[in-house]
Amino acid sequence: MSSDHWRRAGAALAVAALLAYPLAASSPYYLDIGVTVLLAAISASAWNILGGFAGQVSVGHGMFFGVGAYLPLLVYTLWGWPPMAGIPLGMLLAVGLAALIGAPTLRLTGHYFSMATIAVAELIRILVGTWGLVGAAIGLQGPATARGWWDLTFRDETPYYYIFLGVLAGVLALTHALQGRRLGYYMRAVKAGEAAARSLGVASRRTKLAALALSASLTALAGSLYVLKTGFVDPDSGFGILVSVQMVIVAALGGAGTLYGPLVGALILIPAQSWANSWLGGGGSGLTFVLYGGIIVLVARFEPGGLFELRRRMLRWRPERSRAA
Amino acid sequence: MLLDARGVTKLFGGFRAVAGADLAVADGEIVGLIGPNGAGKSTFFRCLAGDLVPSAGRVVFDGDDLTRASPEAHARAGIGRTFQVPATFADMTVLENVMVGAFLHHPGAREARARAREVLDLTGLAPLAGQRAGALGTPGRKRLEIARALATAPRLLLLDECLAGLTPVELRDAIDLVRKIHRLGVTLVIVEHVMEVIVTLAQRVLVFNEGHVIATGAPREVVADPAVIEAYLGRGYRERTDPAP
Ligand SMILES: Nc1ncnc2c1ncn2[C@@H]1O[C@H](COP(=O)(O)OP(=O)(O)O)[C@@H](O)[C@H]1O
Ligand SMILES: [Mg+2]
Repeated sequence: MSSDHWRRAGAALAVAALLAYPLAASSPYYLDIGVTVLLAAISASAWNILGGFAGQVSVGHGMFFGVGAYLPLLVYTLWGWPPMAGIPLGMLLAVGLAALIGAPTLRLTGHYFSMATIAVAELIRILVGTWGLVGAAIGLQGPATARGWWDLTFRDETPYYYIFLGVLAGVLALTHALQGRRLGYYMRAVKAGEAAARSLGVASRRTKLAALALSASLTALAGSLYVLKTGFVDPDSGFGILVSVQMVIVAALGGAGTLYGPLVGALILIPAQSWANSWLGGGGSGLTFVLYGGIIVLVARFEPGGLFELRRRMLRWRPERSRAA
Repeated sequence: MLLDARGVTKLFGGFRAVAGADLAVADGEIVGLIGPNGAGKSTFFRCLAGDLVPSAGRVVFDGDDLTRASPEAHARAGIGRTFQVPATFADMTVLENVMVGAFLHHPGAREARARAREVLDLTGLAPLAGQRAGALGTPGRKRLEIARALATAPRLLLLDECLAGLTPVELRDAIDLVRKIHRLGVTLVIVEHVMEVIVTLAQRVLVFNEGHVIATGAPREVVADPAVIEAYLGRGYRERTDPAP
């Protein structure tokens, strides 16, 4: 079999495994890990559009996740709407927020942009924590029991698993389509060299804003999915720095700027995190910080391209393969 | 005049890197811009390409004032440029690099890819199409920069030292490429500090020193100008007669 056949067989196997996982998961604990993996893969894939492809490393994407997480519970709390109705509103508000903060922050390059995004996200987290309408420090609660299927409140996590899997497939399909279009090429060009890109007619500001808006709306979608599952959100679980950092780590571990990198990163990080927490009985965020810090150091020191880059380099050691045109 | 730059001045702090430089280029010309290192050629270039906004002066291209326009607006207006230090997109393939340029006038990926392949054929890069740009050597990168700029279909192409540091064989190929591009109807402004190359290519040469033009004319005349010998060749001769370290 050629390497292309192997690849196709591998992809088919991976899809089959993802589809069958809930049937094989022996306990709610393992099913929950599966759901959490999918959610992390969705949010990291959303982050990846801006941070990976366009090279603008946001460490404040929790602000969009939080907006997406709050809106469904806000429309439920205020007007009794089904939480799901808040999803498009959250995505829209995230795009608005992206437009607002994008103009000043995207002028900054490299670490300065990253630091500005941290600052904005923290500011929003603190403001939300003092704002009574959105539950201040307590946060918001969803329907305790479903009033109908449209509340998407399930005891068992299996429905969430398949909803999340469907959304992940959609996000990856969108990313793949983006890669083949002008905007996708422009994003990679801006990442590789902004001055050179602009000399070729790439409107870099507009390109970065488009990447941010798309990335923000999908990150908000991830936040909404999270809250549909948990039925609860507070400033830390919505806007906290760990939310932002997790997206960066998951994408960087698998390979930022690659299509499947975030999924691979989530498949490794989430189980590792969950097992580390249960073994050490921690559950506190202290251990999570240590784990994230360790991964940052390892990825930055040994393989800034993530696991995908590592694999690519290992393939290159093989005898020269026939040249792709 | 296709390009008309008047009194272009660029200050870095108090330092005048470019001091009232003039350059007028007619459609179809090949103009050489020479001068010793540090004369301000690259800075002048960056003002012409929109990379820097001049502190004073005007840059008019095809009747439009581009003095304060963005680099991307310059590209849209029809000015292409290369960088003195090649700035190819390292993680993208040679073909993808050129596609980024081709997208300017071909928004669809299929058309952009087809256009990029034509440019690769023209520039002799077709056999390297699938390679990562980062894997190319300096001559390959310089060629790729030209190809990428060419894919934007420029009317004026600004080349900044794209011939420097090439072996004699590479140099001959590069000169052939520049001639080929000129035959396609592209006007060229070529910056070099190696005099010999420019003399064989350019119809008209401007000599730059201390931020402005000190002499202009046919290559043979300029070479004989005492001011040029003083400012530029004098130094060049001295460099050449110095024993190698
Ligand atoms: N961004 C900058 N900031 C400060 N000084 C600069 C900058 N760019 C160039 N210069 C200075 O301007 C002068 C002209 O540089 P340059 O235009 O690169 O010359 P050339 O291309 O003729 O060798 C040099 O003295 C250089 O140090
Ligand atoms: Mg220079």
